[in-house]
Amino acid sequence: MPIHEKSLIRPENLTTHEELTLDGVDVSGHWSTFIETRVVNDYNENLQEEIAALPGGEEIHRCWQCGSCTNACTVNAINEDFNPRYWIYLIRMGMESELLRDKDIIWQCVSCNKCTYACPRDVFPEGVMKATAHWLERKGHTEKSPSTHFDEVFTEQIVKTGKIEESRTMRRFFSRTGQALAQPWMIEMVKRMLRGLPIGLLTRMGLATLVAPKTNDWSKASAAIQEYIDEQHEKQAQALSLAELVETAKQDVAA
Amino acid sequence: MSKPVLIIGGGPAGLAAAHSLATVGKESVIVEKEDRLGGAPILSGYAKLVPTGEWAKDAIGGMVKRVEAESSVKVVTGTKVTDFDGSPGNFTAKLSNGDAVDAEAVIVCSGFTHFDSVNKPEWGFGTYEDVVTTTQVEQMISSGQGVRCPSDDRKPQRVAILLCVGSRDRQIGREWCSKICCTVSSNIAMEIREELPDCHVYIYYMDIRTFGLYETKYYWKSQEEFKVKYIKARIAEVTSDGEKLIVKGEDTLVKRPITIPFDMVVHAIGMDPNVDNPEISETLGIDLETHGFIDVANRYGAMGATSRPGVYVAGSATGPETIDDSIAQGHAAAMAVLSGARDLKTA
Repeated sequence: MPIHEKSLIRPENLTTHEELTLDGVDVSGHWSTFIETRVVNDYNENLQEEIAALPGGEEIHRCWQCGSCTNACTVNAINEDFNPRYWIYLIRMGMESELLRDKDIIWQCVSCNKCTYACPRDVFPEGVMKATAHWLERKGHTEKSPSTHFDEVFTEQIVKTGKIEESRTMRRFFSRTGQALAQPWMIEMVKRMLRGLPIGLLTRMGLATLVAPKTNDWSKASAAIQEYIDEQHEKQAQALSLAELVETAKQDVAA
Repeated sequence: MSKPVLIIGGGPAGLAAAHSLATVGKESVIVEKEDRLGGAPILSGYAKLVPTGEWAKDAIGGMVKRVEAESSVKVVTGTKVTDFDGSPGNFTAKLSNGDAVDAEAVIVCSGFTHFDSVNKPEWGFGTYEDVVTTTQVEQMISSGQGVRCPSDDRKPQRVAILLCVGSRDRQIGREWCSKICCTVSSNIAMEIREELPDCHVYIYYMDIRTFGLYETKYYWKSQEEFKVKYIKARIAEVTSDGEKLIVKGEDTLVKRPITIPFDMVVHAIGMDPNVDNPEISETLGIDLETHGFIDVANRYGAMGATSRPGVYVAGSATGPETIDDSIAQGHAAAMAVLSGARDLKTA
């Protein structure tokens, strides 16, 4: 049975009848379990192109389904449902609804890149997982993952100041992911830093926390980076037809 | 017309070329680096050949005898060409034994090198004795010893054959399909099932490429008559629990992870460019194509023309090739040499 038909025999598609006679044949009870027909009519024929438009997904078209990525996968060893090969298959077939069934585990890729080194076609499955997770976020299927929040906090800071000030990164990351800053381990770490670090270094760190140091003459570079990021985001939004999605959503609300 | 044709390499292609030339009374010199003629089928001890089922030592051995019986073919073994100069109709090759050969033209039949499985360490070759190559299984069969686990000589009850070892793999820079391994593997699988009917044979594949007429004779036959099991999965790793080899992978068609114990794992090794190709290319002044095989400059005119006029190439020196096609190319290259000679005369 081809992979794409497996969805037909999910538990919700199985039915039995207490009393049923068809053409004079008694088909009552679980000896005559029926598999309900399900017409797949929600193919997204652009799905592969959409994933390929996001960073990391560019080479997805190379896949020939050998399964090396899933075989090598760290997460698959713990959770059999985490199956990069299968998702690449669904994406290439355009089976969006099937893909969405796994939307809550796709982001769990730990980026160990074992698949990257196993793949005979250089599909770069780790990148495809990242692109797929971003696709789910940008299409509104999932909340932003913690790592996306971290990337954003990090990037915003670089664009603004040209420097990374760790305590600010931490504070913002914790706040955006809804975590309390005063975690026991954090308090312990700060205590030990206060005890163990040289006074001069502590002072500099303290100052940096307050004034947020900036790279000299950063504004031009900052503008250029921001322009590039905006350009890329716009391109991706177009590839993913995000504007149309928003429009449809508005019409749905109005109706 | 007095100068002979120099044939580099005495495998199926070289033997065929020499035989063709002898047929029309043209002299040739075969320079073979190994100590005897026959090429890979003889030197690596192949068993029954595809598609005839004849033993290699009879089929290719017969070609060797036929050539050795020809008075117009001179055979020099244990020798390489070290230096080469001249133009079409008038080449001189210096040999590693100190001799020199004047030649009218050259046919390069230098063949290929078997992929060395050590370059895919995750599949256990070199770590576990019972992980072997298709070549080793051929030798087990052709020697009459039978298929046995090298570690303790027992008859295997479960054998896994892994396809595309050293083929179609960007990770190790080998992007080509070696063409013959699918067919050879299903042939070997049938041999094993015939010798050891209780032994289960599994073939793990990405695609099955038993091209042309081999589909029925090997792929279908091995499944339908010999019950060889084909599983679409590229294996992640071969390990051991101390007693058995453990093969891990995913059956991609049913989306199930697999961890299966085996007595023996066979690597269906691919065909690499001859390791000597850089040297051959340098010495003869001929180009290699991107994968490292010898480049064929003309596909529709002179058969097997290389980038250097008067130097021809045939067989698996040009890329992965079957024995039959190597032989055909050897004959055709001989014909190309003759027509090249006619062109020289009329010019």
